[in-house]
Amino acid sequence: MTTLTPIQMEAVIRKLTALADDEIILAHRDGEWTGHAPILEEDIALANIAQDELGHATLYLDLRRSLDNSDADRLAFFRGADEYTNVRLVELPKGDWAFTMLRQFLFDAYEALWLSAAQNSNYVPLAEVAAKAVREEKFHLQHTALWVERLALGTEESRLRTQNALNELWPHVAQLFAPLPGEADLVAVGILPELEKVRASWESFVLPHLTEKCDLLLPMVPAQASEGRDMHTEHLAPLLAEMQSVARQHVNAEVW
Amino acid sequence: MTTFPPDTQWPCWEVFKQDAPNRPYQAVGSVHAGDPNHALLTARNVFVRRPSAVSLWCVRESDILTATPEEIVARPEVLETSGETGTYHAGLKRTHKRSMTFVDLVGTVEASGPGDALRQAREQHPDALTWLVFPECAVVRTDDDPGTVESWFAPAKDKTYKQQQFYGVIGKHVGELKREGRMPQRVNEEPHVGDQKVYSHPHDKAPKVQR
Repeated sequence: MTTLTPIQMEAVIRKLTALADDEIILAHRDGEWTGHAPILEEDIALANIAQDELGHATLYLDLRRSLDNSDADRLAFFRGADEYTNVRLVELPKGDWAFTMLRQFLFDAYEALWLSAAQNSNYVPLAEVAAKAVREEKFHLQHTALWVERLALGTEESRLRTQNALNELWPHVAQLFAPLPGEADLVAVGILPELEKVRASWESFVLPHLTEKCDLLLPMVPAQASEGRDMHTEHLAPLLAEMQSVARQHVNAEVW
Repeated sequence: MTTFPPDTQWPCWEVFKQDAPNRPYQAVGSVHAGDPNHALLTARNVFVRRPSAVSLWCVRESDILTATPEEIVARPEVLETSGETGTYHAGLKRTHKRSMTFVDLVGTVEASGPGDALRQAREQHPDALTWLVFPECAVVRTDDDPGTVESWFAPAKDKTYKQQQFYGVIGKHVGELKREGRMPQRVNEEPHVGDQKVYSHPHDKAPKVQR
């Protein structure tokens, strides 16, 4: 693997941006717990997780910059909801602690397994980024898997909340495994991992954890996402309005 | 009479961190957690965000016996505290100097109970400011396998603390904008009170930290 063709380049940029967008939006939702988490230790833990996710977004956007000289801050803080390409799973309001932990668990498992596969990319800069980020993601996954289990097997109230969270989140899972335009070509030449394979390993990890270990019921939902990453819920625009308010009020900001 | 609401907090766990192989475990603080695994995971997030570490132990606070020399004089029966016979870890607080760590673990003793372990620790290290003992069986540890070290501890190595100056300010300092004529000026050009030096701070003399 030496150089990307223009078409590959365009598809890689699209993929890197989507990966970064997921992380930015999820990190913002996690960050909304800062000062509000159930106990101080978890407040710190979730803030750490949010920072790690933002760090991964930075890795992806730095990689994108090396391709098209784009500016990560402009991409994060000056694109509107119609330009963001995150999955809908990450933009849903933070809900209660069970919702937040279950969403993070579902996403962490996807991210850890995708990154694990992406370490074998023959696009070396991506393989390096994946090797760096996968370490943190494996740890996140342990933390959130533990929380989902404790909540699902805790009190009647916590079990109910966890099941409700699963009912609400499950329909949004398929979108994680929906390829972007041009992605199949990148998979074919070994630049990106195949999402169906990632999905298979994700299911073999996540399904037993939820059903056997945590005794939760999986809702019946379509296996494929109905809409692409250009379609968002009504929750993204207000999120961005808050997240981008400082940057947009200080457009001359030179140092972050 | 004052009544207190019942304590509904999760148990407190003392966290011991090892910075590098062959270094002692040091008590770095505590976490509240529902169970041993939760304690370890939380301890990693709270105490291993940036400083280096290769291993963590957590011990429930209720499994730890501590005493200062003054306390032993006042309550010598603490040396009779009964418990399981077995291996006990002993830790010492040696200094009052402010530090990130409170107690160094210095080794193990075979003891008939926590009181006996405390007595032995005191004999071996008479100059300590505090002695701390807990049974080996009370320790919950991170795995030693490379996967755990890689995902729990390796990421923190690349992260260094940044001083406040690293982040600078959002935009330009108001003084710079004024000098560039980009701020509205008063008609009488009286210098703004905020621009006046109120007192000379010792740090002002220090060379500027390079960003």
